[in-house]
Amino acid sequence: MEFHMIILVGILVTVAVYLLLSRNMIRIILGTAVLSHAVHLLLITMGGAGEGGVPLLRESDGPYADALPQALILTAIVISFATTAFLLVLAYRTYEESGSDNMNTIRRIDRE
Amino acid sequence: MTNLLLFPILIPILTASVLLFFPKRIAAQRAVTVVGLVASIIAALFLLRTVMTDGVQAVTLGSWPAPFGISMVSDPLSVSLVLTSLLITLGVVVYSFRSIGEGREKYFYYPAILFMLTGINGSFTTGDIFNLFVFFEVLLLASYLLIVLGGEKRQLRESIKYILVNVVSSAFFVTTVAMLYSVVGSLNMADIAEKVTEIGQSGILTVIAVMLILVFGLKGAIFPLYFWLPGSYAAPPVPVLALFGALLTKVGVYAIIRTVTLLFPHDPGFTHELLMILAILTVIAGCIGALAYYDLKQIVIYNIIIAVGVILFGVAQMNMAGLEGAVFYLIHDMLIKAGLFMLIGVIIAITGTSNLREMGGLMKTYPGLAWTWLVAAFGLAGIPPLSGFFGKLLIVQGAFEADNLWGGIIILASSLIVLLSVIRIFIHAFWGEPMPVKGTSAGIYRGLLIPAVLVTALTVFYGVGTEWLRPLMWDAAEILHQPSIYIDAVLKE
Amino acid sequence: MYAVFVIFLPFIMAALLPPVHRLIGDRLIGWYVMAVPLILFAALVRLIPRIADGEIVSASYAWIPDAGIDLAVRIDGLGMIFALLITGVGTLVALYSIYYLSPRESLGHFYVYLLLFMGAMLGVVFSDNLMLLYTFWELTSISSFLLIAFWYHRKGSRYGAQKAMLITVMGGVSMLAGFLMLYFMTGTFSISEIIGMRESLSGAPLLIPAMVLILLGAFTKSVQFPFHIWLPDAMEAPTPVSAYLHSATMVKAGIYLVALFTPLFGGLESWFWSLSIAGIVTLLWGAFNAMKQNDLKALLAYSTISQLGLIMSLLGFGSVALSESAAGDPTAYAAAGFAAFFYLLNHSTFKGLLFMVVGIVDHEIGTRDIRRLGGLMSFMPVTFTFAVIGSFSMAGLPPFNGFLSKEMFFGAAVDVASGQPFAGGAEVLFPVVGWLASVFTFVYCTIIVYRTFLGPSQPEKIDRVPHEAPKGMLVAPGILAALVIVIFFFPNVVGKYVIGPAMSVMFPELSRQADLVPKIEAWHGFNLPLLMTFGVIALGLLLFITFRHWKKVYRVAPFRWTMDSIYRSMLGAGEAGSTILTDLYMTGRSRDYFAFIYLFFLVTVGGMLFLTGAFDPDFTRGPVGIFEISFVIIMAFAAIAMLFVRSRITATLLNGVLGYSVAIFFVFFRAPDLALTQTVIETVTTVLFLLCFHFLPEWKPEDSPLRTKVVNGIIAVGAGTLVTAFGLTVQGYDVYESISGYFEDSYKLAGGSNIVNAILGDFRAFDTMLEVVVLFIAGIGVYTLIALKPKKGGDDVEGK
Repeated sequence: MEFHMIILVGILVTVAVYLLLSRNMIRIILGTAVLSHAVHLLLITMGGAGEGGVPLLRESDGPYADALPQALILTAIVISFATTAFLLVLAYRTYEESGSDNMNTIRRIDRE
Repeated sequence: MTNLLLFPILIPILTASVLLFFPKRIAAQRAVTVVGLVASIIAALFLLRTVMTDGVQAVTLGSWPAPFGISMVSDPLSVSLVLTSLLITLGVVVYSFRSIGEGREKYFYYPAILFMLTGINGSFTTGDIFNLFVFFEVLLLASYLLIVLGGEKRQLRESIKYILVNVVSSAFFVTTVAMLYSVVGSLNMADIAEKVTEIGQSGILTVIAVMLILVFGLKGAIFPLYFWLPGSYAAPPVPVLALFGALLTKVGVYAIIRTVTLLFPHDPGFTHELLMILAILTVIAGCIGALAYYDLKQIVIYNIIIAVGVILFGVAQMNMAGLEGAVFYLIHDMLIKAGLFMLIGVIIAITGTSNLREMGGLMKTYPGLAWTWLVAAFGLAGIPPLSGFFGKLLIVQGAFEADNLWGGIIILASSLIVLLSVIRIFIHAFWGEPMPVKGTSAGIYRGLLIPAVLVTALTVFYGVGTEWLRPLMWDAAEILHQPSIYIDAVLKE
Repeated sequence: MYAVFVIFLPFIMAALLPPVHRLIGDRLIGWYVMAVPLILFAALVRLIPRIADGEIVSASYAWIPDAGIDLAVRIDGLGMIFALLITGVGTLVALYSIYYLSPRESLGHFYVYLLLFMGAMLGVVFSDNLMLLYTFWELTSISSFLLIAFWYHRKGSRYGAQKAMLITVMGGVSMLAGFLMLYFMTGTFSISEIIGMRESLSGAPLLIPAMVLILLGAFTKSVQFPFHIWLPDAMEAPTPVSAYLHSATMVKAGIYLVALFTPLFGGLESWFWSLSIAGIVTLLWGAFNAMKQNDLKALLAYSTISQLGLIMSLLGFGSVALSESAAGDPTAYAAAGFAAFFYLLNHSTFKGLLFMVVGIVDHEIGTRDIRRLGGLMSFMPVTFTFAVIGSFSMAGLPPFNGFLSKEMFFGAAVDVASGQPFAGGAEVLFPVVGWLASVFTFVYCTIIVYRTFLGPSQPEKIDRVPHEAPKGMLVAPGILAALVIVIFFFPNVVGKYVIGPAMSVMFPELSRQADLVPKIEAWHGFNLPLLMTFGVIALGLLLFITFRHWKKVYRVAPFRWTMDSIYRSMLGAGEAGSTILTDLYMTGRSRDYFAFIYLFFLVTVGGMLFLTGAFDPDFTRGPVGIFEISFVIIMAFAAIAMLFVRSRITATLLNGVLGYSVAIFFVFFRAPDLALTQTVIETVTTVLFLLCFHFLPEWKPEDSPLRTKVVNGIIAVGAGTLVTAFGLTVQGYDVYESISGYFEDSYKLAGGSNIVNAILGDFRAFDTMLEVVVLFIAGIGVYTLIALKPKKGGDDVEGK
């Protein structure tokens, strides 16, 4: 039943990679955001999504959905949020210092 | 006391937390950091002794049975890497007193280093693949903090790329963990290894192994995934560069070693052949880069890439000689790179430039620096009896045993390029006509040179004391060669 | 113990030198240094009778025993010859340098390097372990590097030092590869054990590669063509160094190596040809180039090259004695080996002498350019006498030792030519080429004497008034000059006590069957070698007189070619090529970074998926609800729309749509905690995005060229497809039950009814703790990014 999910992940990855290959800083950062959505979806799909009940012991008697991937995704979501926040502030500071949001011009021009 | 193996991870994190309470008091920051590091080193030394006498140490946190909780494992390889990282960090911290500047010291420089150290030591110690991801993130976030700290233009523009590359690499990592979990249903590395051995390493597992090589190769800077490294490492101040250069890529290399020896050793026709080809290409690409620049930082940075290739080439041989050589060379390279970066920091402090063409004649005024550089350079190139020699010797022996004649010869030939690249620095900076220099005070010179000399001296002992280190290295290689020792220690604790 | 003492005394004395130097000062430090080789020389001379009896003094200490690396030292007849040279010439050079070097030079450095070299060189000839030998071998290269660049403010010195080091270390590394092959075949690094395995090694597939690699080491060190190019540049070193390292000792290390391995490789046809041809070509090329030099030291450098070629070819001729297919009498061929050692000794005496003479000229006149010299005989009669003795010996004239060894060389070359041991036919050329080279040698010997000391004096071209050297400076060359003559009259003492023991090391079995020490006689009737010598004198004189007329040939190809230009262009092209290549792909553009990553992903992971035959997509579908399908479609549209929208706000909101849809999927997948977290996080992220955009400019449409866009598109679609293919394949491989069944007992175990919370808070609490740390670091990072900025116009940074 995960067939459609995997196709969706493929589409999200395509979009994310295309955004990453852009010049514009914001497009690239949005690319990372889309990429993390794709990864989280993949993680829950791979963990045997949708089989069994909610992993709350009081709610049902099982079988439960695999709880481990859920725990992992929770950790992953928080971490990718931390990174994204940092990245956004960095993008703002980089723009402030270099006056450009074009990643092709923000590079080593001076030849050391 | 099996919890001993957690100390080198927990002491830095606790020290870092303490430091957050008084960021502006520089003297206290320095003192507490040094105390924390020394305590960690003592713990690591005890751990080393325990591992050597009682074998692999494993503990599953929360006292849950092995594959269910998070296992931390300390075998000779990981404890040596932990100890080496701690020693290097201590050296760099002392070096920073005179070079990093008060501005950064007041803005969480030392806590960031300690957080990064936590991530590094954790990555070397964990026996759980998802926990490895989390430790990677700890060290990455800390490294983001260090690479931008100060907010200079050049730092900003390089760090944004560094972070973007790592975000993508983390995405790959989580994807791979998802795939792996879907196939074997476990996160504990020993458990995975056992299951892979039982079901046989089917094609899809080999593909997952290659995914892991990609993920860790991005961190470890193998060909062709190292392109981000030269630019971003050169951006932060020298002490940060020394830490990154000595420690960060090695975490990736370590993870690749575990991948191909513990998790997926069963299909060497694909994984190890690929690794060997990549390793040789890494060496060649590194050599080309090392000759391309007249910039001190770049020359040594490309030497990191060469070393990564040499180590992984040794690993790819999958025989005792190759593996032991790889372990020997891995630790040698961490020490020598730290020493080299610290030394070029002294040169830059004196001359005010990192361009080789703008310096000369330092031999007369700074003889101590010159001789230390020469010793470090010969150590790097593997001139016996210095530290780089024995590891490379074993790696080439391993290559001959595995019938990879040409690979072995390329590894040996690369020593020549390595020597040329660092001797060129010696010739240009220390010999020749003296050039006008910015100069530096005697106090700063001493404050920078002494830690650099100590780290270099450590490499000399490492080389001369090869015989004393051999039991440790042999044990480390044996576990890589026979992962069942590792698996048993974790699952049957 | 004794043997180890011999090697380590120079190192110990070098370590003690700086404090001693401070104590006794510049005037006496040279004497302190001279004591080292003198003591060692005396100690070695005392050993000669024992060694001549066939005794071997050896000692071995463990270094890295498991790896077969030991401090194994062995003094035998072969090492003895070289050690006598190292200590004997060493004493004289130290004595000479006391007068040669001015106290203004940094004498401390000079003498430390010299002692390091001495110890290393003794180590090379006394090691009985390949790794120990290699260690000392590289140390000789390093000390030579430091000595060549003793005057490092000169560009030429630095260039010469780097070049010498690169070439000799290259040889050293290839020698190491050869040693490792020997280890691979024999399982030992012990030289005596390896030599003992000669029989079992014959026909081993790696034997010839090992031989070639070891020879590369020998040829680079002993300046065989085309690796000779470093020696002329090494002449930038102070003259005592040139006399010592670059003529008497270090450049003979390659000769030692070849002699050492002759018992193993000797008799192989390829060994014979490699040595003979390399030697003969070097002999001719060196002699030919020596004639055109204007700098006396460069002339001597080329003559050294030439004579090392001669010795090398003699070792080649001699190795025939070990060949089974060798026609004729093996002892006759072995005589070539004897001649090699004899020539080696003689060369050290006359060449050392000549270097010291040139040093005196340079020191007293201020130049060594023969275009500015001439007529010095009347000012420097003693030096002139030394020059005549040295040059005539080198030219092969009686009554000097060079005559004897040159005759023996002619004899050996003729023997090989007539014996045709390997029926190659080319052997006939050896005596012819050798003879021609001797004619050239005669010419340049005459040039040394004539252009420096005879002919018209040119006081206007020199800055100083010519005068004889101080007496102290004449002592060392005087001793060498005396030796040149003494050896001519008593060659057989040397033959019996010094060369004989070496012969029995080089030809262990043969020496038991026959006496390999021929009787050397100055007069042996009118035979072919003597006639050849007459020819050399006649033609040599003719060429010298007509030199000005045929000098033009040096401007004609191939005679004007120098191997040096090849080295320079290789090094230059290497650096330039590296720069171009590196610039080509190290663009610093993030777009290229990602393109590399995803292309690598496509090639390796994609390739592996198909190569391993793992690709096996699982298309089975379970029941899918209409809600799920609609959200799949919503997300796909939202994502694709992000590529086309014109406003960054819209794009951000579309990203929000994706995030909230993910939360909804979490609900579908029975993950309420996740859905909750995702909703909160997505909200905060979206706000952050919008906040950040407030400070950034509106985005412009991507103006990349179409080609780039197409490539990007291909990479993106490829990556998406591969992830899908990979995911579908993994679906089919649910081999193992997940471990998470265990957690369903979490209620009992951890006292929690929410399994996810139990995992996070208990089973994997460590992850959660670290996750908090990550958040924390990010927080600090954000703070420092905003608060800490570079100081205007300063190096430091400052907080707000």
